[in-house]
Amino acid sequence: MTSVISEIKKDFLYNLVLKGERADGRSFDQYREISIERDVIRKAEGSALVKLGLSQVLVGIKMQPGEPFPDSPNRGVIITNAELVPLASPMFEPGPPNEVGIELARLVDRGVRESKAVNLEALCVVPGKQVWIIFIDVHILDDCGNILDAASLGAIAALLTTKVPANKFGLGEDYMLPVRDIPIATTAIEFNDVLMLDPGIDEESIANTKLTVISSTDGSICGMQKSGTGTLKPEQIYRIVDIACEKAKEIREKFLEV
Amino acid sequence: MIAMDETDISFFKDGLRLDGRREDQLRPIKMEVGVLARADGSCYIEMGGNKVIAAVYGPREVHPRHLQDVTRAIVRYRYNMASFSVEERKRPGPDRRSYELSKVSREALEPVILTNYFPRSVIDVFVEVLQADAGTRTAGINAAAVALADAGIPMKSMISSCAAGKVADTIVLDPMKEEDNFGQADLPIAMTPNGDITLMQMDGRLSIDEFHKAVEMAMKGAQDIYQMQRKALVDKYSQLEGEPHREEVQACD
Amino acid sequence: MKYLGMDRMDRKVVVPGDLLSEDAKKSGDGTFIKDGKVYSLLYGLANYRDKINVIPLSGKYIPASGDNVIGIVKDITFSNWIVDISSPYDGLLHISEFPKRIESEEMSKYLRIGSSIMTKVKDVDPTMKVELTLNDKKLGPIKTGQVVEISHTRVPRLIGKGGSMISMLKKEVNCNIFVGQNGRIWINGAAGDTDLALKTILLIEREAHTNGLTDRIVEFLKKEKVARS
Repeated sequence: MTSVISEIKKDFLYNLVLKGERADGRSFDQYREISIERDVIRKAEGSALVKLGLSQVLVGIKMQPGEPFPDSPNRGVIITNAELVPLASPMFEPGPPNEVGIELARLVDRGVRESKAVNLEALCVVPGKQVWIIFIDVHILDDCGNILDAASLGAIAALLTTKVPANKFGLGEDYMLPVRDIPIATTAIEFNDVLMLDPGIDEESIANTKLTVISSTDGSICGMQKSGTGTLKPEQIYRIVDIACEKAKEIREKFLEV
Repeated sequence: MIAMDETDISFFKDGLRLDGRREDQLRPIKMEVGVLARADGSCYIEMGGNKVIAAVYGPREVHPRHLQDVTRAIVRYRYNMASFSVEERKRPGPDRRSYELSKVSREALEPVILTNYFPRSVIDVFVEVLQADAGTRTAGINAAAVALADAGIPMKSMISSCAAGKVADTIVLDPMKEEDNFGQADLPIAMTPNGDITLMQMDGRLSIDEFHKAVEMAMKGAQDIYQMQRKALVDKYSQLEGEPHREEVQACD
Repeated sequence: MKYLGMDRMDRKVVVPGDLLSEDAKKSGDGTFIKDGKVYSLLYGLANYRDKINVIPLSGKYIPASGDNVIGIVKDITFSNWIVDISSPYDGLLHISEFPKRIESEEMSKYLRIGSSIMTKVKDVDPTMKVELTLNDKKLGPIKTGQVVEISHTRVPRLIGKGGSMISMLKKEVNCNIFVGQNGRIWINGAAGDTDLALKTILLIEREAHTNGLTDRIVEFLKKEKVARS
């Protein structure tokens, strides 16, 4: 389902951009208000509810022992899924994830996996036979723009609260899941040659291009994705990467570092 | 998982249930109206350990078009459980249970919705179970009714839902997880405040007398829940209502 | 200071199914009659006058014949523009209802997807087929100005009794304003004036359900204009 945005509204937003403004008064590199509530789903091994502006994303972590993948017999398994449930937006339809939902899940996964935030070798119980499986389940509750960054934030926030349920499976005492890095995704959009971070829902619908940068605690990049039908010059990409890493650092320090 | 035998648990101790409730007591309930920005109406509910959110979209255009009814709005209800909502991670997507729950829940609400006001449209109700603790369908219906009101859908009355069960040969109100898993019967109902029943299901085994007692108890529970739904809605309006003092208008800048 | 709706003698917050009166003759908008008594159909504010009307806080705009609305073209067929009017029902603007005689191939030249129009509902049939028209001097495509969206439930308050609120606003801010019953409002004027108009409209939307609003708006406008001069 698509909805038509009026030309009047597009012009209105363009004109604001020419004046250096955004509809909600933010500056181009400003994020909306973020709140992270942890441990909201007690039954899950870990969980976090992220609010980014009016967007709301709930991430739950479940863990259980299982068989390793044949090509990595001594490593734990991470399985990331995102449900863009119809409750969250008039544009979401019931059914299995479409390409947008799958892309979102794979990006959240990329951040966790490539940053090596979770030591998969340490999740091996019996080499070749039994490893811990971590399910990262992203549940979108309210799409008011940039649910990707919210989901990525939710995933790492939930992992930071996760307790490995060893006792339940007779594998010893429960312990906190060791998390070695805090990957943060920061998304920028481009339209009319202007770059802005953390797009709201209207901004997303008029943007030509989107670039998501996932960065680690040490400032290195561990994931990236360009989406949309527009183009970006290398200078624009470098600029986005610089601002994104700075923003990610701010967000990391404010919300996730204990 | 370590298997539990129902004989291992004693469901009553000093006349109180495992969570300290009396036979006819509801679990603590919390409701919040209008928690989502995109949805036309919404309600978040906690009933015991259940955490459920309901959203309503509509009336809106029907897709696919061939489902349209020229004389009235169709009502759709989709009950869904988040993967992390249950003890053992659930594969995403509907299963046979959720199809059945969706159907009976829709039939619990449809009798009071004035669908003839909106031909060729659909009223979509979406219920997401974020954490499950026995009684998710009743929590879903309670939240859905409030979400429908919040969306401005015309209804002849509210709908309230509650379950009764039987454990250790005793009829209890609003069974919790252990009582539901190892109990002898489960009877969820939904009704209008006048006592018109719009949903009734039962599994287990009850004598006719026990059945009467369970229905009576569940109906009283639903009546109490109706008062809470009403209060949640009225309270929200009063928050928005607050007539500003003269000073507040001047400060508006 | 907060007033709870229930303290008023003439207004009360109600939910669907609430009993409003034992006198069936009092049934107004948003109510229904059962066994000779009047009940609320909606969640909103019950207004007790000669009839009892329930004013909802939310709900979709349902088009009625004669309504002015602002629409956005979402599709073009051989002889119709399909127009989004912020309702479960789309409006159909037939080529013959365009103020100029044009050919089917030219339709997108005049109104393309994304174009906004000030239009009027010509007719609504029982299956909710909505026909629009542009055949009136006051109607036409929107080329300049701003369009703001408020909840359609607040539009009657924005217009006021006999148009009192909106005429006062137009005069005080010196702007052209077209109010769509569907909650979309077009404002055109000098930059500072349209800003003030927009602010005032949003204030009216926020406080539509309160008493003494007209006086407060008059005062608000006076203060704002003094502050800006």
